[in-house]
Amino acid sequence: MDFALNQEQELFRGYVRKYLESKGLTKIARDYMVDQGESFPAIHTGLAELGCSSINISECYGGMELGALDLVPVLEEIGRALLPGLFLETNTLVVPLLEQFGTEEQKASYLPDIAEGKSTFTFAWLEHDYNYQPSGIKLKAHQEKNSIIIDGVKTLVPEAQIADYFVVVARTGKEEKDISLVIVDRSQSNMTIRPQKTIDEARCLSEVTFNHLEVPPTQILGPINGGWTILQEGLLSFNAALSTIMVGSTDKIVEMAVEYANIREQFGQPIGRFQAVKHKIVDMKVDLETARSLAYYANWALENKTDDRVQAITIARIFATDAFIRAASNNIQIHGGIGFTEEVDCHLYLKRARFYENYLGSTQQYYEQAATALGW
Amino acid sequence: MDFSFTKHEEEFRQELRTWLEEHLPKDWVMSNQKYVKDPVFLRNWQKELYEGGWGAIAWPEKYGGRNATLMEEIIYEQEMVRAKAPSPINYVGIHMVGPTLMDIGTEEQKEQYLQKMLTGEEVWCQGYSEPNAGSDLAAIQTSAVKDGDRWIINGQKVWTSYGHVADRCFLLARTNHFEKKHKGITVFLLDMKQAGVETQPIIQMNGEHDFNEVFLKDAIAYDADIVGEVDEGWRVTMALLAHERTGIGAQVFTLEQQFQDLVTLAKEREDHGQPLIKNPFIRKNMIDLYARSRGSLLNYYRNLTKTLKNGYPGPEGSMDKLIVSEITKDLFAQSISMQGHQGILSEDVDGEHSYWSNNYLYSFGQTIGGGTSEIQRNTIGERILGLPKDLRR
Repeated sequence: MDFALNQEQELFRGYVRKYLESKGLTKIARDYMVDQGESFPAIHTGLAELGCSSINISECYGGMELGALDLVPVLEEIGRALLPGLFLETNTLVVPLLEQFGTEEQKASYLPDIAEGKSTFTFAWLEHDYNYQPSGIKLKAHQEKNSIIIDGVKTLVPEAQIADYFVVVARTGKEEKDISLVIVDRSQSNMTIRPQKTIDEARCLSEVTFNHLEVPPTQILGPINGGWTILQEGLLSFNAALSTIMVGSTDKIVEMAVEYANIREQFGQPIGRFQAVKHKIVDMKVDLETARSLAYYANWALENKTDDRVQAITIARIFATDAFIRAASNNIQIHGGIGFTEEVDCHLYLKRARFYENYLGSTQQYYEQAATALGW
Repeated sequence: MDFSFTKHEEEFRQELRTWLEEHLPKDWVMSNQKYVKDPVFLRNWQKELYEGGWGAIAWPEKYGGRNATLMEEIIYEQEMVRAKAPSPINYVGIHMVGPTLMDIGTEEQKEQYLQKMLTGEEVWCQGYSEPNAGSDLAAIQTSAVKDGDRWIINGQKVWTSYGHVADRCFLLARTNHFEKKHKGITVFLLDMKQAGVETQPIIQMNGEHDFNEVFLKDAIAYDADIVGEVDEGWRVTMALLAHERTGIGAQVFTLEQQFQDLVTLAKEREDHGQPLIKNPFIRKNMIDLYARSRGSLLNYYRNLTKTLKNGYPGPEGSMDKLIVSEITKDLFAQSISMQGHQGILSEDVDGEHSYWSNNYLYSFGQTIGGGTSEIQRNTIGERILGLPKDLRR
């Protein structure tokens, strides 16, 4: 029995934390709000130099060929800092899809650049009816001679303004599940990006219109019309990672609450001495550790391809989401008036929690998925 | 990370499993736990465990144990829960008093008590709580006054589990009034079968009887019955509590099993021709409960890993206790709600007492006994998070 990260993993966490703290932690997210990511590539490069972006990429493509558990400390630290950018989308959704289903050519052209921190991917999935089911995909990609032509509109596309590539979820046939994943290079011109405003201004979302955009058929990731099935695999990895990021954010929230309750005095004593405050923070801590245990196990199940991995991962996502939202909300209350201001970081965490709540899948859908996986 | 057990541990599990299959009393299994409170039955079970070599596995071999590792103790708890074996009547003796005596008891005390604890011949209780000293243990008032080689003890204890069947009591009494109230406490190994000791049952809200009030009127103990030094009982008490290293484990595994029972209930009971588990509201509640109880098991494993690495348990035990008892309460609350009116029946159709309503009522004790949830939160807040201490005397 050994349910803990190993020494190397904890050591690596230390490097990442030190680096992000040296960059001002949430200052990175605050800068992102102002310049929409102009200053961000330097941070992404910094993390890549530490090795973060190459962890789960095969050695032959310049990676370290490590597993989901080795990403855990990095993801927790990214969560603590509320890091913007596309690390999550690139390294935990697209990389596993490329590794598992990509052609040799695709792997060779994308993975080494990702490993070096030179390119990032975003995911263009949702359309205007905000439906996460196959029926929600209306955007068409049809074959014409030797190309694939893409026409349609995607919404809520994360960080479209800084992504180097898009994985577009497109309809390629008549049947409900005739869906394919197509890799699109951002430098192609037949694409319009219109920024959308969200409550979490440290993440950017955009509406992207593809207007007769032409790509070679070699850009299809995985089997044609088989995109939906492989997407489910990618989402397992993505959700294990997202749970971990949310645990990292919650960890920082609990730390903030404890620190404030220790220094803020009212009625001549620190507010952390009052049980109404103390017990609230303890409940946040209990939620945090429970979420962390579930997330660690989810990543372990993913890495070891266990039979219970679907339930382990969906349960981790459901619980970590709730824990993050609760902790972020309570943190504002504990900070009192100052917690309601833009000046302190409390609001940044709350907004990120709501951003992730239904990110790439709805909570309702994950409840149903967990129940089904449990055989209920 | 590694969730597997060693070959040796798996052999240990198999050995115990086989033994349980052969020795678990047949009428116990058949009777739906009719003997759950029967002291004669439970003493016999203790003896049976002892004779099979399973009476006190963590004890050293020279005292009749097996020198079990912490992992073996965990496996032991898992298997006992899995087999739904009777709960141990001499829990206090085997897990707390015995190991404490081995550490700081006199040779005479070891000689006199250890063997009888194991065989079930002498059942032990603990005399800690008092009407005005529950969570604030150091506030005890029961006094012991020296009279030659004897001590005259007066006062009242409460919440004494198995006090009505116990032969001896690990008793805390005040022997001195120092400024600091945890000073001046002494531990006595008190003979319960004497004129000065009277027990009265406390009937719980589920109709059962585990606890007692114990009245001490000029009860007698001797110098030879003192554990450690006079006035230094607080240290002994803390040492004793540290020996209780697997109590939470048993609760965690029990919770896991109770949750599976709840799933079975939700699959079997129907409402309008449809199993309850297909109802979206119940489904959501069940998933939330599953996430928390699964999380509590994994948390426990994570804390266990820490204990195995450090060689001693940390304050995380408070977190396990808090989480597990709160979830248990919510689990049984859910079991009552989702059954509709049927949920409030205290007897099932076959006349047996209802597992659900009985456990629902019993669960209210779990967030109180063994340190209330509020006390656990204080411990977590102060010892794990470093928040300021409560004001205390």
